[in-house]
Amino acid sequence: MQISLTINGKSYSQEVEPRTSLAHFLRDTLDLTGTHIGCDTSSCGACTVLLDGKAVKSCTVLAVQADGSEITTIEGMANGDQLHPIQEAFQENHGLQCGFCTPGMVMTAADILANNPNPSEADIRHGLEGNFCRCTGYHNIVKSIQHAAEKMNS
Amino acid sequence: MLNDPQVLARITPGIQTLEEVAPDHYKAVSEVKIGPVKGRFSGDLRITDKNPEKSSVVELNQQSKIGNAKARITMGLHAIDDSHTEIQYSGEAQVSGMLARMGQRLIGGVVSSLSRQFFEALAREINQET
Amino acid sequence: MENYIGKPIKRREDTRFLKGAGRYTDDIKLPHMAHVAFVRSPYAHAKILNIDTTAAAQAEGVIAIYTGADECGNFGVPCGWQVNFKNGDTMREPQHPLLAKEKVRHVGEAVAVVVAETQALARDAAELVEVEYEELPAVTNPKDAMQPGAPLVHDQWPDNAAFDWCIGNDRAEVEKALENAYHVTELEFINNRLAPNAIEPRSYIADYNVNDDKWTLYTSTQNPHLIRLLLCAFTLGLPEHKVRVVSYDVGGGFGSKIYHYTEEALVTWLSRQVGRPVKWTADRSEAFMTDAHGRDHVVKSKMGFDKDGKIVAHLTDEYCAMGAYLSTFAPAIPTYLHGTLFQGLYTTPLIHLNVVAPFTHTVPVDAYRGAGRPEATYLIERLISKAAIEMNMDPAEIRFKNFIPPFDGINQPGYQTQVALQYDSGNYAAALEKALEAAGYENFRKEQEEARQNGKLLGLGISTWIEGCGIAPSAVVGALGARAGLYEVGHVRVQPTGKVTVYTGTHSHGQGHETTFAQFVADKLGIPIEDVDIEHGDTNEVAFGMGTYGSRSLAVGGSAIVKSIDKVLEKGARIAAHKLEAAVEDLEYGDGKWTVKGTDKSISFGDVALTAYVPHDYPQGEEPGLDFSSFYDPVNFTFPFGAHICIVEVDADTGKVTIKRFITVDDVGNIINPMIVDGQIHGGVVQGIGQALLEEVAYDEGGQMITGSYMDYAMPRADDVPFIETHNTVTPCPHNPLGVKGAGEAGTIGATPAVVNAVIDALAHLGVRDIQMPLTPQRVWKAMQNNN
Repeated sequence: MQISLTINGKSYSQEVEPRTSLAHFLRDTLDLTGTHIGCDTSSCGACTVLLDGKAVKSCTVLAVQADGSEITTIEGMANGDQLHPIQEAFQENHGLQCGFCTPGMVMTAADILANNPNPSEADIRHGLEGNFCRCTGYHNIVKSIQHAAEKMNS
Repeated sequence: MLNDPQVLARITPGIQTLEEVAPDHYKAVSEVKIGPVKGRFSGDLRITDKNPEKSSVVELNQQSKIGNAKARITMGLHAIDDSHTEIQYSGEAQVSGMLARMGQRLIGGVVSSLSRQFFEALAREINQET
Repeated sequence: MENYIGKPIKRREDTRFLKGAGRYTDDIKLPHMAHVAFVRSPYAHAKILNIDTTAAAQAEGVIAIYTGADECGNFGVPCGWQVNFKNGDTMREPQHPLLAKEKVRHVGEAVAVVVAETQALARDAAELVEVEYEELPAVTNPKDAMQPGAPLVHDQWPDNAAFDWCIGNDRAEVEKALENAYHVTELEFINNRLAPNAIEPRSYIADYNVNDDKWTLYTSTQNPHLIRLLLCAFTLGLPEHKVRVVSYDVGGGFGSKIYHYTEEALVTWLSRQVGRPVKWTADRSEAFMTDAHGRDHVVKSKMGFDKDGKIVAHLTDEYCAMGAYLSTFAPAIPTYLHGTLFQGLYTTPLIHLNVVAPFTHTVPVDAYRGAGRPEATYLIERLISKAAIEMNMDPAEIRFKNFIPPFDGINQPGYQTQVALQYDSGNYAAALEKALEAAGYENFRKEQEEARQNGKLLGLGISTWIEGCGIAPSAVVGALGARAGLYEVGHVRVQPTGKVTVYTGTHSHGQGHETTFAQFVADKLGIPIEDVDIEHGDTNEVAFGMGTYGSRSLAVGGSAIVKSIDKVLEKGARIAAHKLEAAVEDLEYGDGKWTVKGTDKSISFGDVALTAYVPHDYPQGEEPGLDFSSFYDPVNFTFPFGAHICIVEVDADTGKVTIKRFITVDDVGNIINPMIVDGQIHGGVVQGIGQALLEEVAYDEGGQMITGSYMDYAMPRADDVPFIETHNTVTPCPHNPLGVKGAGEAGTIGATPAVVNAVIDALAHLGVRDIQMPLTPQRVWKAMQNNN
């Protein structure tokens, strides 16, 4: 099937098999390998992207469902060499170790902060429930998002 | 009625075809959804220990790409009065493969809901005949 | 001058990860790459009667299909550690074939492999492979596996034991001391089986180039050189100099990516068969069924005390599962990495541990973060806390009574344990004192009592821990059965412009070597950190290496780099002396330059580097260049230690455990980057909490794994845990140049018993003395009811 969509501000028109997930479409067809796949049950959140501004697990969205939509992936967060404040906060607060869950964490953080610019620790932890990290114990991820909120509000 | 394969195929949830290969031995193709996994099963269905108007045992041995299932269901019929019969059933099932890994904790629930569907369908079947 | 050591320098590797530009194996796409899917056993134990690949072979996009009947079925992956039976009999070592032949021995064992044009087509075709099995009874619990009549995992042996083993004092002597003890505390439990669950699933790409007759294997491994060695020398018999193993970015390991797996050998073999690059990436379901698991000990233990609470003896018997085959380091884990830590931090005079290691119809078991040491710590720390309750003593006090007194390993000798090892340096009481202070222990009992009055169940759990890291020297570990050395390689290449490239044989998969290593290199050379680059993960770049596991990288790998830096500075001094027309003895090095003592005559590091590569005005007989590689084989293990305190609240109605605070005091020796060390502790602690409260790989009676997905296997999520309060004490390692001990596993080792001790503490007044992990609400609630 033919789909057209905008990813990180760039338009794409592409032939896809109907069974292709958005995650595989991004990784395999468009070489946007920043979106990672960590499970097969929509549990880990490594594949989180923004679809029309909302965080979705791209492993559970078919590419054809994303037809006509606007997608932001981790590759679309920085402005050239200028990291997004969330990305900066993750670096400053050691919010990542192996880096594999990180793209999903950053995209989920963007969603959390878009809905609630001043989240409490509990709000952040609740908002991260759909994302696994096995390295950081979430400690510095929560700190990073708290710090990003401060940055984005100032 | 419970020994009629066509009726059984109609009222057993998920059964798509039931084909008699020998007396009391059928080839069954079914499609069942268990929690997050849905699979097309094919394999044997045998009715053993048949004791007309009293009891029978249904043995299922089904294979699928999401795992295999073995089940043994004992049904007992007890006449309550001339027009009412109580059906008692009990069963045990063993599953393997993805079904076991991802669906095991849901199987109890699925079995009860499939059983409920079975008996509801049976009730409809009885009501139609009468 | 220390500009960088000890500072929380931001990580250099973060930029690429944060931009989605990491290079994980699955991100690599090679031209003409084919994809692999496996046909895996749905049974724990079965005879393979027939495999029909006819329909699959005709499916769209299929390039090739192989089964165990093909050549690849003759190859098997080796075990890297041999532990013989106590009576001297050789360890039983079954072949671990790349594809199962007559029999399958665990759910998920591969029986056939399909190579196709895309991953989806390979999987479609794999579904068309028809395998006929005869299902056989299975055994998954290691103790059950040793009962008479248990189903045999490998028919060639009369029982399921791979080996049995013991360590410590004479058993009869220990038993006698227990008989005479004032009090004996007993515990029986299962140290629950865990799935490591790095979030990146394993991934391999093999690329055989027919024109060069060379292989490149891209692999998600913690130790590329070791994989190359095992692959070439043992599994496939390939010429090692023609095989390059590359592992750029790896998304977490926790032990599970140390091992040489059948799939990576098979894709390497396949690439030559089909003449194309071949890729396989596990899905999570496959990861649960094939990544080596951790723990799974069935434990029975007795610890004896005198009337003052001093430990007089400790006797433990364990059944430790090996799984269906021996994974790379499996035999070492419940033995040399476990029994050797039975001293704990205490002066226990008599210790005996007996281990039986059976095969089971499960995924192989091997090192998972901590590897044998969390199991030892859990046991010792549960015993001592249970004893405190039984003897009506304070759990801190009983520990203080038993601690080994402080020793620095220089002025006081190392501490000789009853279980073979000699501890390097330690000050154990100091760590616990600091933790108690941070926790506000003095007031806690009052708060606990008040909370109980208000119907709230508060509990505080203490655990202290010690770990043996950087296991070495090679001659010693060789004598203990290791089939590899355990040294490390560090290569320092000074470029002509004075920039420095450092190659390490260790591997970073989250630990931040690119930053930490650059910090001490820059300081030792007195140059800006921007002038230092750290490379790892490519066998073509580094001479050799043993990789990263067992918290060894900085202690062993860092020391190898320091050795090379010393050589650079030694040679640099000779070049500087020539240029400055001074004697080497008259020079001093600091701030990135050699200065003639007492003068302002100096030459910079960069000028010496340039001179070394443009040797026009040069010392006679000196070789050009400034480039040194060193092998470092440590004289001993390092022994980090610490004290953890967990405060929990147990819901009186549901049994749900909430962690209110978690306090750590870890002594990992000198600290290069405190931010990274804290990060290691945070993650480790949460994995430890996971084992205590949530995680368990469960099998049903037929050997089916019933926790094979993230919906069924509970891992900690962000709202299951609080912020972790981290503190340190610093007792330098006396025998390595950086004085470092290792931090990677600390959190996992200390956390689990602290959590369980806290829950038991909360419920002790109800008579609860022990609960089997994981402490699910159901189990906790039941324990509360049974004792009420």
